Amino acid sequence: MTGGDFISVERIYKTYDSGLAALKGVSLTVRRGETLVIVGPSGSGKSTLLRCLCGLEEIDAGAVVIDGQVVSGDARLRDKMRPELGLVFQSFNLFPHLTVMENITLAPVRVRRVKAAEAEKAAGRLLEKVGLADKAGARPAQLSGGQQQRVAIARALAMNPRVMLFDEVTSALDPEMIGEVLAVMKDLAAEGLTMVVVTHEMGFAREVGEAVVFMDGGEVVERAAPAARFFDQPATDRARQFLEKIF
Amino acid sequence: MKKQKNPYKLTALPAWAATLALLAWLVYDGAVKSGYSWEWSRIPAFFFDADKGELGPLTLGLGLTFQITFWSLLITFGLGLFIALARLAGGTVLSALARIYLEVIRNTPLLVQILVMYSVVGEIFSLSRFWAAVLAVSFFEAAYLSEIIRSGILAVGEGQWQAAWCLGLSTPDTFRRVILPQTGPMLLPPLCSLVISLIKDSALVSVIGVYELTKAARSLIAKTYLALELWLTIAVVYLLINLAVSELGAFLERRLGASGRAGRFL
Repeated sequence: MTGGDFISVERIYKTYDSGLAALKGVSLTVRRGETLVIVGPSGSGKSTLLRCLCGLEEIDAGAVVIDGQVVSGDARLRDKMRPELGLVFQSFNLFPHLTVMENITLAPVRVRRVKAAEAEKAAGRLLEKVGLADKAGARPAQLSGGQQQRVAIARALAMNPRVMLFDEVTSALDPEMIGEVLAVMKDLAAEGLTMVVVTHEMGFAREVGEAVVFMDGGEVVERAAPAARFFDQPATDRARQFLEKIF
Repeated sequence: MKKQKNPYKLTALPAWAATLALLAWLVYDGAVKSGYSWEWSRIPAFFFDADKGELGPLTLGLGLTFQITFWSLLITFGLGLFIALARLAGGTVLSALARIYLEVIRNTPLLVQILVMYSVVGEIFSLSRFWAAVLAVSFFEAAYLSEIIRSGILAVGEGQWQAAWCLGLSTPDTFRRVILPQTGPMLLPPLCSLVISLIKDSALVSVIGVYELTKAARSLIAKTYLALELWLTIAVVYLLINLAVSELGAFLERRLGASGRAGRFL
């Protein structure tokens, strides 16, 4: 099901304290139920954009609008919106002192005030969905990278976020584990979850992306839908050069 | 797997025995050469007077040392955690105040702090000697504890904060459920040192006339002139208490699996 814009980013700028201008007037929209893939060379601002979306980074200028509300610059609204955006990190960032089950149920119980038993039931279903039903009692250190990342996805999903943000979630994985994580993401996209995926996995981007945004040098260079069109006939020279380097 | 033996490592017992024997001999030899005559037989009565059937001054002093330690530890942990969190709230009035507290307390002698606590603060708030002593020791140790806790908190990776933030956890929840549980095992060795320091530092409150172990020994020396016997005796008492603390710390480390990670490579 696709509807109107769920996220709209309007000419945002972000310069880090180090002086690095990461985003230079980026605008884009994410529609409800859409899987938007963001690709581009390292340092193009993809990850920064995601982090600005969920509020991990403050923007210098412009506006981030989520569900019709301008959340940038409004700490209260931002706080209210935090649980609605699920972010999955490149480095998993699971809580190492907690079991897989505790990792997943912590936020639903503490933030959404879900009863512990209910949260565990829901977590069990999510673990089944990511193929790790037998790992509920394990600690993150006992899992492989791919398993940890699938737990991290389950942890974010447990909050029932309205959009999932994936920040190069397969970049830190051994090659043989990338597939299992992408498969989970593919399922989620098929269920109609709104997703923004920053990735270097071009095969995945092409197959799953309903739209592609190509970023370079802190700017959005090109947007294409469906994704295949971007890969077959890039509209800009910069995109063409980027794709040539990869394939 | 067969355990490799390090040829330079003595097993614990002979090492301890040899060290203690050397120390005992040094003291004994020193005393003999200075013409000191030992009267160890009088010492046990200072712990328990069998004739009167009551506890001696050293035991009573030890009891007070334990009380000071107990209350000081409680206050130190509460205050130290608060100061550490205040410091971390960078750029606020609270963090500036915490910084000033730390620098004043850490950079002045405890002895002076105890005297000020007793004769100035104690006068104003009409504190008893005991509570003046407890507060002075607590404030002093809390300054050190706050730095220990702060370094532990800073050692937890940024990713943990970000993950907690993105899940919508509140700041108190992030500390309680995510950050502090991870710092705990890391902090055990310095915390153990802190508890030991606190117990030893409590000896300084004898200057305001609190009859804890050291004060009890000093007044006995004034009466009996058994200086070496009494000093050595309370030194051994402190040693035994603190060895127990060390062992407890080592036990907790093993329980939490924090030790032994590097041992294989040394």
